[in-house]
Amino acid sequence: MINEKIKISTKNLNVFYASKQALFDININLKENKVTALIGPSGCGKSTFIRCLNRMNDVIDICKVEGSIKIDGDEINKKNLDVNLIREKVGMVFQKPNPFPKSIYDNVAYGPRIHGLAENRESLDNIVENSLKKAALWDEVKDRLNQPGTGLSGGQQQRLCIARTISINPEVILMDEPCSALDPIATAKIEELIDELKETYTIVIVTHSMSQAARVSNDTGFFHLGKILEFNSTEKIFKNPDNKLTQDYITGRFG
Amino acid sequence: MNLTIIILILIFSLSCFFFGKTKVSNKIKISRGKLNSLPKYYGYYLAAWCGLPALLILILWTFSELYFVKFIILSDFKADPTIDENKLNLIFTEIVSIAEKKFSGQIPQNLIPYAERFLSLKYIFELSKLAVIFSTILFSIFFSYEQILKNIKAKESVEKIIKSVMFCCAAIAIFTTFGIVLSLLFESIKFFTVVPIFDFLSGTNWSPGRAFIRDASTEIADVENVFGAVPLFWGTFFIAAIAMCVAIPIGLFSGIYMAEYASRKVRKIVKPLIEVLAGIPTVVYGFFAALTVGPFFRTLGEIIGLEVSSESALAAGIVMGVMIIPYVSSLTDDVINAVPLSLREGSFSLGATKSETTKKVILPAALPGIVGAILLAVSRAVGETMIVVMAAGLGASLTINPLEASTTITTQIVTILVGEQSFDDPKTQAAFALGITLFFFTLIINIIALQTVKKFREQYE
Amino acid sequence: MNSKQKEILMRKRYSAEKRFKFFGIFSISLAILFLCILLFNIFTSGLSAFFKTKLILKINFDEKKLGINMNTPDEAIKASNFNEILQDALLNLDLLAPDLKKIELIDIVSIDATYELKRFYLQNKDQLNKIVEISLTLSDDLDQLYKGNFPRDIPEDRRRFSDFQLKVFDEQNSQNKIITEFNFSFFKNADSREPELAGIGASLIGSLLTILVCLILSFPIGFLAAIYLEEFAPKNKITEIIEINVNNLAAVPSIVFGLLGLGVFLNYFYLPRSTPLVGGLVLALMTLPRIIIPCRAALKAVSPSIREGALALGASKVQAVMHNVVPLALPGTLSGTIIGLSQALGETAPLILIGMVAFINVVPTYPIDPSAVLPVQVYLWSESAERGFVEKTSATIIILIFFLVLMNSSAIYLRNKFEKKWS
Repeated sequence: MINEKIKISTKNLNVFYASKQALFDININLKENKVTALIGPSGCGKSTFIRCLNRMNDVIDICKVEGSIKIDGDEINKKNLDVNLIREKVGMVFQKPNPFPKSIYDNVAYGPRIHGLAENRESLDNIVENSLKKAALWDEVKDRLNQPGTGLSGGQQQRLCIARTISINPEVILMDEPCSALDPIATAKIEELIDELKETYTIVIVTHSMSQAARVSNDTGFFHLGKILEFNSTEKIFKNPDNKLTQDYITGRFG
Repeated sequence: MNLTIIILILIFSLSCFFFGKTKVSNKIKISRGKLNSLPKYYGYYLAAWCGLPALLILILWTFSELYFVKFIILSDFKADPTIDENKLNLIFTEIVSIAEKKFSGQIPQNLIPYAERFLSLKYIFELSKLAVIFSTILFSIFFSYEQILKNIKAKESVEKIIKSVMFCCAAIAIFTTFGIVLSLLFESIKFFTVVPIFDFLSGTNWSPGRAFIRDASTEIADVENVFGAVPLFWGTFFIAAIAMCVAIPIGLFSGIYMAEYASRKVRKIVKPLIEVLAGIPTVVYGFFAALTVGPFFRTLGEIIGLEVSSESALAAGIVMGVMIIPYVSSLTDDVINAVPLSLREGSFSLGATKSETTKKVILPAALPGIVGAILLAVSRAVGETMIVVMAAGLGASLTINPLEASTTITTQIVTILVGEQSFDDPKTQAAFALGITLFFFTLIINIIALQTVKKFREQYE
Repeated sequence: MNSKQKEILMRKRYSAEKRFKFFGIFSISLAILFLCILLFNIFTSGLSAFFKTKLILKINFDEKKLGINMNTPDEAIKASNFNEILQDALLNLDLLAPDLKKIELIDIVSIDATYELKRFYLQNKDQLNKIVEISLTLSDDLDQLYKGNFPRDIPEDRRRFSDFQLKVFDEQNSQNKIITEFNFSFFKNADSREPELAGIGASLIGSLLTILVCLILSFPIGFLAAIYLEEFAPKNKITEIIEINVNNLAAVPSIVFGLLGLGVFLNYFYLPRSTPLVGGLVLALMTLPRIIIPCRAALKAVSPSIREGALALGASKVQAVMHNVVPLALPGTLSGTIIGLSQALGETAPLILIGMVAFINVVPTYPIDPSAVLPVQVYLWSESAERGFVEKTSATIIILIFFLVLMNSSAIYLRNKFEKKWS
């Protein structure tokens, strides 16, 4: 394989919740414009890990992150760094769809507005339309942009959240089990969407579903008890894992 | 007297309990073989039947006794068409005070026999109360004893009794509301037969003192155009508005800071500290407003050349606002905390700052709850009494100058009803009319506020 | 957008953030500052009331002037007149005083001074015909002057003591004849027209009796009602109406309860006016919903597994609730009740309406004796013109706040104990 640029790399990443350690020495390289899936049993630290990548762990008082995280070679895990600029670059989609209690339009326009991305109403309209189109939601909602976002179905809400995330043109999108609250049809739609989005964005997805990881990702990392046991191309992990535990987990012997 | 009866009833009940627990249950065991419930339940059953009806009768009797005494004594006067109900009340009060030897001044000779009759009636009533209560006890013990001997399911019966007693306790809430509405309505209706309700609600002159001039030549008091309550409504609204101008911004920002910014440690200290403001008795605020804040504003006004009266709407309103801060801040804090974390995370993940998240996501989501909190605070401000009584003044005027004295509904109720009052006076009845206005007004605000808050909570539960 | 524009925007956003945060801190500081000013104000003006100023006088217990001897029974001593020896002693302070000023000399001490002499003599009968130094309560105006609550440098016609009195006072002061001692009588005495004699004894007892009546009525009823509503009430219209009523009553202005008391208890049932009985009754109705709501919350906090555990053993619902749920919820219900009662203790308006503003100069013993309560005493004294009542009012507030702090901290203690059990 040629031209594989590293987007995010972590070195000796340790995370603590109060005195309890949640992640141990994570060293990982995530490639640009690829989908990386993170799998592992519940409570193994997958979500904690991706929350480090846009400093969302800052929201939790007792959480302490040590080690190095570099995006495009720039260290982001340092104290006096502007977290809002990182979050502008690294968007996130959550497990449960969390549209704001505003109209569909305002949900998507929220990010561009605070970051001053649109000069006038017209360009804001364009951003909203494009984002919704990219999130494959435009056709379903174009006639009711003024209705509350909370009135959509679960799958639509999650796509709205994706549209909201891409509205500020991030470079990386983190997805924390984006399909766990959705039905199979909605899940299929989101997976399709991920496939399209990887052309433009680097995507990191945490998932519980083995098959989903196999379907959507280029690389897969297997987390267990706060450590990364194996990180490799998806093909390799699912066909011929190096680690016995990975094998057991993938074949459903525990988890 | 009543205390002795209560103690006697308790002693009877207690002995019934032990009687039931040991003697009766043994007897049933012998005659029927097996007990349906534990022995103590037979004791409870007997004790409940012995005590409860007697206590109920005691309470009802005590409360209604004087009513009947009054009815009997006044039956003589009722034949006279020149004596209306108000006068009857007055006569009865005189008779009672003669009988209790508290009458001041010249005792009207014609009432002395009635006073004697009053005393003897009271004596008879007390005796018959004793008789009725103790025969009730005997009868109900006998009845329940018969029941027990049939080996009824004592446990179930006792539990039924317990539940009914509990229900009665809960139902007191309904009776209280009824009592409030009826007592207010009763006097208000009397008032509105003298003063048309329209004049009361739309008149702009409030000087009830003038309605008091009731000399022999003009038997009917001048009640026209002195009971216009609009200045009071205005004063109430005005002072409440000043209070809210203080309480809403400070309370809202304090609540937001505590919920979104303060560390756990700071919150643990600051929240109770602010809530102390709500725990201080209102009379203390009144004292503070009248003795410190009012004069402070007046001196301040003198310095900058403004005329500030020492009892001003401003002083009362500001102090009241401070008192209300915790009602706004604590509820705001609670409501904001009820907004799910996921909304915050969604906003943060887009690179929004805390204040942007709060202003554009959290506050719109929490709006119904906050509106409810503010409404409850408004109702508190409207019904607040002591601060305005002590610091806002008495003159009823339609002023928009916060530096002048202003009066409120509650102030007028207190001023009218302090000291001796007779219920046949339109002035006294006016206080009740004001009371019912206040009650319904706050009731409406409360219902709206409680519903909004409830709906908000349901949304995020 | 270039990086420069971006930088400007970011700076703007961060200054907005700082502003917003500042508003929060500012508001909280303002609220706390006001609390501090209020408490500071009350404490500084009230503390002096716990002390009283006395004048040491040489008194001659002259047998002839008193008209008594060693064998006079106590009853006769009580009836005899101690005024003359007191006046003699006072006139001795300035022998050159013109006749017109003599009355001013006599007014230096409180009108209670002769009774103080009498009380002293009843306990020290061996002092007959001896000259004894006794400390006597100073008149209120000089008391205020000595405590620094009243400036001395204002014109004579605008103060309540004369230049002559001031001169005598200063003389005595320079001879160390003015002393300060702890004001026990403030806690013992009932209300009085004379500030130096007025005390909170009557209103303290009145408050205790009122709260006692309130507690006896509201706690059992509120507790049982809470148990019913939380555990047994079926989901029907009546329950719903009761719940709406409880929630609304908790927010009804307290003065409305006063109107209820006046209209029903006094006017209709002829219960005795101005008494702790009626006061407690009215406050009980007012406190009831404020007890029911926290009691329900405490019952709700008991985990359902405990009920289910008992029910699974074959206990009836009543048994499960009474034996297992109620004991666990008890600390929480008690703390709610205490807080409800502390609100009742500070309540003023409804008690004014049922006539508890009457001037009460005897300490009540039963709930059916007319009496005052602490918050109403504050109201009454704050309306008085005499300067001496200002410090008394503040001191009463201090006592009131002391009780409130006591009650609330015990409630917090109970609640913490309760929370520990469940976390």
